[in-house]
Amino acid sequence: MRRVPARATFGLILLVGLGALSLVAGRLFPDWLASTCPLGVDPTRPDRTVCELAFGGLWVSLAVGLCAGGLSTLIGLLVAAVARLVGGAWEQALLRGVDAVFALPDVLVVMVLQLAGQSLADAGHSGGLGPFGLMVASLALVGWAGPARMFRNRLATLEGQEFVAAARALGGGGTHVLRVHLWPALRPFALAVFLSRLPTAILTESTVSFFGIARMEPMSLGRYLGTSYAALIYEGGARVVLPAWALLVLLVLGASLASQALSASPRKAT
Amino acid sequence: MRSVLQKLARQLVLVPLVAVASYFLMAMLPLTTESEAKRQVSPELAASYRRDLGIGEPLGFLRPWQKLWRGERLGTSAQGVTGDELARKLSGSVGVGLLALPLALTWALGFAMVRTRWRRGRWAALGDVVPALAFGTPVFIPALLLAPAVVERGNMLPELCAALVTSIWPGIFLGTLVGDSLETELSRDYVRTALGKGLAPGTVLRRHVLPNVLPALLDAVGPVATALLAGSFAAERVLGLPYFGQLYVLAVLNKQVAVVVVATTTFASLLVVVSLAVELTRYAVDPRSREARA
Repeated sequence: MRRVPARATFGLILLVGLGALSLVAGRLFPDWLASTCPLGVDPTRPDRTVCELAFGGLWVSLAVGLCAGGLSTLIGLLVAAVARLVGGAWEQALLRGVDAVFALPDVLVVMVLQLAGQSLADAGHSGGLGPFGLMVASLALVGWAGPARMFRNRLATLEGQEFVAAARALGGGGTHVLRVHLWPALRPFALAVFLSRLPTAILTESTVSFFGIARMEPMSLGRYLGTSYAALIYEGGARVVLPAWALLVLLVLGASLASQALSASPRKAT
Repeated sequence: MRSVLQKLARQLVLVPLVAVASYFLMAMLPLTTESEAKRQVSPELAASYRRDLGIGEPLGFLRPWQKLWRGERLGTSAQGVTGDELARKLSGSVGVGLLALPLALTWALGFAMVRTRWRRGRWAALGDVVPALAFGTPVFIPALLLAPAVVERGNMLPELCAALVTSIWPGIFLGTLVGDSLETELSRDYVRTALGKGLAPGTVLRRHVLPNVLPALLDAVGPVATALLAGSFAAERVLGLPYFGQLYVLAVLNKQVAVVVVATTTFASLLVVVSLAVELTRYAVDPRSREARA
């Protein structure tokens, strides 16, 4: 019996392949990439080729997406678990808070958090967070609400099943049922939610970096395009824009195929 | 109607929450005045920021709103904004958003129809690839590609282009939802019955299927409106449109903290208005929403 749907396998292979390619080409062998790049040098940075900057940027964007997606999924999972454990009016109040956070647009809130974080860093109170850490923290603080809602709903559905009722009837407490019975059934869904957060985090980071608000070093894909957008407009930048765009699209395609296939696959209540 | 008011009340709570949270976040920021700091501000400017935010004054958090109400300039330089300018810039962004909304609905209906037709054919994979292409394309990329041709032409062309590039992802997102909903409804018994009684497929679609599909569209209009407004920020920046998005980005870049507080709260209020409009539309067009609450 197939455990992982074919679409999810394809999506995961695409994601891992892009990650490996960006690591090998952008970080391990940048000289080889520089000498073989068919797109030539970047118009605003004559010492670097378009391929070096695009693959280097992909590596940074992917790293930000993985860390921020993972952290926001974890926070969402914790909030959902707490909400289900406390139940009643507290759960409803928690969900109202989750909805309020969810209603705010990611890009706007990340911009405000970046402004706050950078002001703290300039005053020497960064708490050890560099630009990378600050971006991951901002994205996680914005992105946990969606996963929290999804996990809470999935937990509520799973709790209605017979095996949970049996476990409770045998004296299983809330945390025991959650850890032993619900978590194994929730794991594939958690992976799907994480994969669905990945492109959102990458695109939000790209947009905020494009505005020049985030100080990502080395440059992510968004910052790479954002630092030279005036030159791209006036000198025509399709040669520069298209590779970065293609990499972003492939990244999103991989993550969304894997996420959709995993969340649609039959749920096993083990 | 009571449930609409309840939802509105829940949404309205968001506005003072955002206002207070953004105010205190900005008021707590340490504005460095040391000369060695990379992005320091002068002591005069820091004092001006504090005056602007009313820090240390009783009911200081109302200070930015008081200044706006009196018609004074908010912010510490020419990059600040008065109430009238804020309203003008906001109306510009809302105008771009309103242009983008019908474009998004056109994309949505077109994509939903094509996707339903593709579903079992050789083009089925495109049903996955097109949304990934649309979602994987940040608004600034098509804006960058279009900008050389339109940025200096004027005559509303940059506004139209901004609306076009902003509408792509929300349109495809809505199209995916409508397509799924359309497929579910088309497989139901009442459609077979209507066709079996001799109604034309177009009539069945218009009279029976679409009224059941449209509530799914309304559910998504709220998030889509947020995406349209947030997406217009990037389009405005690239296409040089001096509207609300441009104001917000410049306020953040130049640490115009009072402008950030006011603009963030204004944006939250706008989302509440959109949400209210969606709920009223749903109440008017979807009888199930009235029956369920009666």
